Amino acid sequence: MFRQHFDLPLGEDGSGRFVPWIVAVMVYLATLSVAAGMAVNRSVDKWDIGLEGTVTVEIAASNAAAENAGERMARALSLLRETAGVRSAIPIPDDEISRLLEPWLGQGDVPLTLPIPQLIDVRLEAGTKLDLDALGTLLANAVPGARLDDHQYWTERLSDFGRSVQITSAFIVALVALAGAGTVVFATRAGLAIHREVIELMHLVGSRDSYIAGQFQAHAMSLSLRGGVVGLALGAATLGVLRGIAAPIEGSLLPTVNITAVAWAVLAALPLLAGLIATITARVTVVRALREMP
Amino acid sequence: MGYSADDEVLRGINFHLRTGSFHFLTGPSGAGKTSLLRLMYLAHRASGGVVRIFNRDIAKTRRSVLPGLRRRIGVVFQDFRLLDHLSARDNVALTLRIGRVREDTIRDHVTELLDWVGLGDHLDAKPPTLSDGEKQRVAIARAVIGRPNLLVADEPTGSVDEYQGVRIMRLFEELNRIGTTVVIATHDRRLISQFNYPVMELDHGTFGITGNN
Repeated sequence: MFRQHFDLPLGEDGSGRFVPWIVAVMVYLATLSVAAGMAVNRSVDKWDIGLEGTVTVEIAASNAAAENAGERMARALSLLRETAGVRSAIPIPDDEISRLLEPWLGQGDVPLTLPIPQLIDVRLEAGTKLDLDALGTLLANAVPGARLDDHQYWTERLSDFGRSVQITSAFIVALVALAGAGTVVFATRAGLAIHREVIELMHLVGSRDSYIAGQFQAHAMSLSLRGGVVGLALGAATLGVLRGIAAPIEGSLLPTVNITAVAWAVLAALPLLAGLIATITARVTVVRALREMP
Repeated sequence: MGYSADDEVLRGINFHLRTGSFHFLTGPSGAGKTSLLRLMYLAHRASGGVVRIFNRDIAKTRRSVLPGLRRRIGVVFQDFRLLDHLSARDNVALTLRIGRVREDTIRDHVTELLDWVGLGDHLDAKPPTLSDGEKQRVAIARAVIGRPNLLVADEPTGSVDEYQGVRIMRLFEELNRIGTTVVIATHDRRLISQFNYPVMELDHGTFGITGNN
């Protein structure tokens, strides 16, 4: 790809001087965008996997004197445990419910003072075809105030959110690629104008369009790769800082900033992609311009 | 031939150069010598008429074929047209590199030829540091290095002394002896008279060839 001899003094003019800097910014933005997309995607997958095969039964607090909370819980547990396809049904203890509600209601014996619903964590057998709608109806009839939550609402929204982030990320990368290509077109046209006489001479002594284009291509690729590596390094440093900031926020729903080996491979490909786009753009620009010559 | 529909530069010119012939082209300034040369080294396509070079009708030749034809034509430009950022060696090597000749072959041939034109000590000199005569010799070396089938030279001895001028003409004669068709455009009647070659005379609308064609 790189020629030993550059007949065109492309490195000596100012036409491409700004290209590495702009490509660096572009690759930096693309790195953050792709990393964010992948991190959100991983989190959504994690949440999805975490919710897969589980349902939650919620038994609303009742004011009716006849109703005993313990009896209703026992009835619900009994029904669930007798249902084929249910692996386990375990009531969530009050202190666990208190802990879950702590961020909103503060510390204390909240379940004792407020009409907080009782919860049952239900695990299903792997690969079961249990009709959750029927089970929910059965449960509601048997235990007044009982409701079965299969997390479908959340998983659908999480999935929508993940998809939106991915689309936004891809859109940003596409915009960045477009802007990068525009920069290379501008720089290449400037180079063509600056070196018009040299190009004309090369043309007259028998140079093929591809030979001249090859020199612009190699130059554009070299500039873009340099900028791309700088952009990737800055992006990696930023991700490292974000990871450090996010680390203490343990157990939150924040996407993890940990970058896997595959993700690093994808990010490392960004400077190469920038180089490839620059190469193709420079070639198309030069070949189009040279077609004007006889 | 013209640069636009109402700007005709050459008209009514009809000639055929035998392979391996040697011609001078002369005429007053503005007569169209440079335009005729530009047609010959394929810098232009004629707006009318037929230009056949190497048995090809240039008007009907695909653009992608022209670089190959141009590599068979050596051109010495009046204003040298050397690349200032390249050394004398790389300027001469340009046509060979474009033709994808091996680097070691290029090195040997370029060194030998520059030595022959008296620039063996200036291999790495850039054109801005050379005199006009030296630049002209580099330009000639670049034109002949690829042993072209057709050599077109525009005032090739205009910037050199008489001794170098004769040496350059001898070089052209040597090339001609091995089959290169040579066309030398010059105002220099003395130079023309020193060599017994046919002369194409172009004078504002008239064209004629004198001597043995």
